[in-house]
Amino acid sequence: MAVAIGVRVRFFARLREQAGVEDESLQVPVGSTLADVYDTLRTGHTALEPDRNSVRAALNQEFVDWATKVSDGDEIAFIPPVSGGGPDAL
Amino acid sequence: MRYDVTTGPLDARELEAAVAHPGAGAICTFTGIVRDNSRGQSVTHLDYEAYAEMAVPQMRKIGDDIKQRWPGARVAMAHRTGHLEVGEASVVVCVSAPHREEAIAACKWGIDTLKDSVPIWKKEHAADGSYWIEGDATKPVANP
Repeated sequence: MAVAIGVRVRFFARLREQAGVEDESLQVPVGSTLADVYDTLRTGHTALEPDRNSVRAALNQEFVDWATKVSDGDEIAFIPPVSGGGPDAL
Repeated sequence: MRYDVTTGPLDARELEAAVAHPGAGAICTFTGIVRDNSRGQSVTHLDYEAYAEMAVPQMRKIGDDIKQRWPGARVAMAHRTGHLEVGEASVVVCVSAPHREEAIAACKWGIDTLKDSVPIWKKEHAADGSYWIEGDATKPVANP
């Protein structure tokens, strides 16, 4: 049984600049949520936005809740507010 | 229906032609233009960045919602990315409908929703520096 799954994370706009990379592939434990993935990334990219509530998560090009679990091969994106609205407007 | 994210100049007339049909008595087009000022500062140019693989499906979703809410409507949307100068068009939303009321209302709803939910970001280069525009907030650029 697999103990880790591989995901690809993409960063855009301000988060891309904070992360210093456009995308990153990483292994996370089975059962990890998007919040877990973000928190893991923050340990390696300390400049990444500390307030997760100001960021939205997308899984395979759909906005989803932070509690959503990730699967092997998923594409994740952490998305800062877009130009016309804050996170509440999304 | 047509949904584009492109680095090339936008042609509103081309999108209007894509939504025109004999049953449409009205076409409403919104064109967003790069303005020469923001937050009381003069703006030199903008950079737009998109998550294109998600932005196009999100635009399609808005178009599908418009067709549900305003039966008979046809929709085309295009957003430009990359470097834009003052006066250039950054976004075009075009809606055709049987009558003007639906066309105008659907077009307004379309651009408002696009600005809130389509993953495209604007970096403003102004007299006082460069900023990511995030709704009402501005965030300084990490590596200007």
